Amino acid sequence: MDISVTFINGLNLAAIYGLMAIGISLLWSSVGMINMAHGATFAASGYAAWLAADATKALVLAAFGKGVLTTSVMAGITLTAGAGFGALFGAVIYLLAFLPIHDKPNFPVRSLIVTLAINLATVQGLLWYFGPKQKNLPKIFGTGKLEVLGISARYDQIGAILATTVILGLVLFWLRVSRKGLEIRAMMQNPEGAVLSGISVRWTALPVTMLTGALAGLAAILLSQTIFVSPTSGTMPLIKGLTIALLGGLGSVPGAVAGAIIIGFLEAIVGAIPFLGQRYVLFATFVFIITVLIIRPRGIGGLLDEARK
Amino acid sequence: MKKFYEIGQRPSEIILHPAGDSPLARRRLPLTRRHLLKWRSRTNPKTLQQERMLADKRPLWWAIGLGALLVAAPFLSNPMLTIAAIFCIFAAINVLWTLVIGTAGIFSLATLAIVGIGAYASAGLNIWLGLPWPLMFVAGGIAGLIVGGFLALPSTRLDGLYYALLTMGFAEICRVFVQQLKVLTPANGSINNVGSFIPADWQLQRPGLLLGFAGAFVILLLALLIFRIVNSERLGMLLQAAREDEAFAEATGIDFRRARLHVFLISSAGLGVIGAFYAQFYGSISPSIFSLDQLMLLFAMIVIGGLGRSEGAVIGTAIVVLIDKGLLNLGPIRILLVAALMLAVTPLAHNGLVGIREQFRGWRNRKKSEARARRTEKGGEVMPEEAIEFADKQEIYYRRFQKRLRDRLKALITPELIEEHRQRPLGQHSDALNRVLNHFRRGEVADKYAIMRQPGQFHSYKIVAFSGVRGAPPRLVDDKIYEDINQAYHAVFLLRVNDLMES
Repeated sequence: MDISVTFINGLNLAAIYGLMAIGISLLWSSVGMINMAHGATFAASGYAAWLAADATKALVLAAFGKGVLTTSVMAGITLTAGAGFGALFGAVIYLLAFLPIHDKPNFPVRSLIVTLAINLATVQGLLWYFGPKQKNLPKIFGTGKLEVLGISARYDQIGAILATTVILGLVLFWLRVSRKGLEIRAMMQNPEGAVLSGISVRWTALPVTMLTGALAGLAAILLSQTIFVSPTSGTMPLIKGLTIALLGGLGSVPGAVAGAIIIGFLEAIVGAIPFLGQRYVLFATFVFIITVLIIRPRGIGGLLDEARK
Repeated sequence: MKKFYEIGQRPSEIILHPAGDSPLARRRLPLTRRHLLKWRSRTNPKTLQQERMLADKRPLWWAIGLGALLVAAPFLSNPMLTIAAIFCIFAAINVLWTLVIGTAGIFSLATLAIVGIGAYASAGLNIWLGLPWPLMFVAGGIAGLIVGGFLALPSTRLDGLYYALLTMGFAEICRVFVQQLKVLTPANGSINNVGSFIPADWQLQRPGLLLGFAGAFVILLLALLIFRIVNSERLGMLLQAAREDEAFAEATGIDFRRARLHVFLISSAGLGVIGAFYAQFYGSISPSIFSLDQLMLLFAMIVIGGLGRSEGAVIGTAIVVLIDKGLLNLGPIRILLVAALMLAVTPLAHNGLVGIREQFRGWRNRKKSEARARRTEKGGEVMPEEAIEFADKQEIYYRRFQKRLRDRLKALITPELIEEHRQRPLGQHSDALNRVLNHFRRGEVADKYAIMRQPGQFHSYKIVAFSGVRGAPPRLVDDKIYEDINQAYHAVFLLRVNDLMES
């Protein structure tokens, strides 16, 4: 097995898991909510993107003909639809799971339950409306291979890695420089202190839920370049995202990035080792995560005392 | 004849009237110090009659509910009988799960994984080693205990949601692992033709279904017994102390971590036994038991019923099983229905359906105390809840009358009325002034104002107030000297008006 292929695979997986894990981590640290509907957001945005692409395909083909331009326009439409619907879904989660109960007792567990219910309802609703048949998204990065520095990689892998890097960079930049980002970071560090200095919990939680929803939507588009869109396609990314967020320490963005990279490479390496193979990937991942959590109960980048209880 | 309405809780209480001299004889459950029902004796202060009241009616509700299920079972149709059996199995799982989440406070989502492992272990031993079915329960229990011990290791170090997510991942590992076992690949990960307590030729026949239901019912009863023994005996008490204040519990020598571990291990072993029963009941076991959807459905059950209470686990299971298995022809909509129920219950009820009663009482008490606070502002009158403090109830009515009278008179006092009095303190007055003056004249002697002529001086008056006690002299109200008796009369009037307006 070629090391360079393993490397690219690992980076690809790390990119997509990172998008999911950072969404979960960000939401937990700023709002104090474990979003179990992240998988539902993932699946629903995949379907929204598929619907948008399906509706506009003929039109775009007629307007631009076959070529790079069509691919890029379709990519734009798919990404916008996915991210936009993800953000909308995030707003729905905000309305159902945050707004009515965020000042009531036992909020973390109750919001977990509500988001679980949203997840259940969305998956069943999709299954009911679209049926269990898988849908195929347009290849937004085209098909083909590229040789860079002697490493060969598929377009969609390169695209996913680059797009994730750019998006995560933008999000982190926005968190660092904008006024809203400052408020969100204040919420993450000390929710009570933030409230006392006049930051509204409600108006901070809305952009965070929408942002994490949009990230899940983007992850759906990027992952759907390799797998298909189906009603239950959100379950695996949700579990992976959750466990990576745990591994990185809930609430720590650098930890989530590190966790995503470690898990991505671990999966690629275990999958590449001949006598272990694909079937032991999940097993190895979880054993690794459990070991890390027993040694460091709050994960890699977790803060012991400052973390939300 | 006038009809009296029964008010308060008393009419709905279960009260016996034993003879006053009959001694209280309560039977204990054999080998324990427990009584079956919680009777409390007292003497009714009004009738002086001996009475015995049932202080905790929950055992009756349990007996009625479970008894009704048991009596109704033979008359159910075959599909309904299966649903009842499934309800019993899931309720048993949920009761043990409640033990882990509620009593031990470990937020574990590996419940179904433990059930599945118990089922797979016992079914595998039955198929490949020929283990007879009664021993399958033992095998399932041991498997559950081992897995529980393995899962309990991180539970003391990780807290809350971390552990929940980890155990959810564990269930997923189990599913993938079972699906990829080479031995099971031909059957798509499931084990079929497991030996069972239901004879082979009774399978899917009426007697077989009845036997299956009976077995499931026994499993449910056993789970409830385990819940009762663990939750309200020593282990449960230790953990309750720890729930209220961990540091205090530790300081008094309660090793609550160890107690949590014990509860977790006990319920894991129980879940393993239920797993063995599950495999026998269906005659097969498939990887779908590890699936996230099944777990979520089970979680929906305990959430709708109410976390941490056995009633909640059973009621929630009944509702969700009825929707999920009873309305099969609705298709995927029934899961949407369950999700909608979850979405409705969680934001509105603090702790599921069984918590609604307490929540309503809390709300009603809050409203009551708000109303009480509003009444206190009115002043003077006796509040209903104070009435028991007065032996002579006439006093209550007297005060109420006085309060209303004062309210009336306050409305009569106007600048014109005061002016009228200033001009002519004595003589014929208007109706309003007459009423006010009559009230003043009839006041109690204590603190009543009077005019005292200064000794040895002519046309020189001061205002005093009577002490109301024989032998105690009046006190001087102020030092002002009035040269005219009419002025003094008016000053007394003003003082009294002032007191009236302030009362």
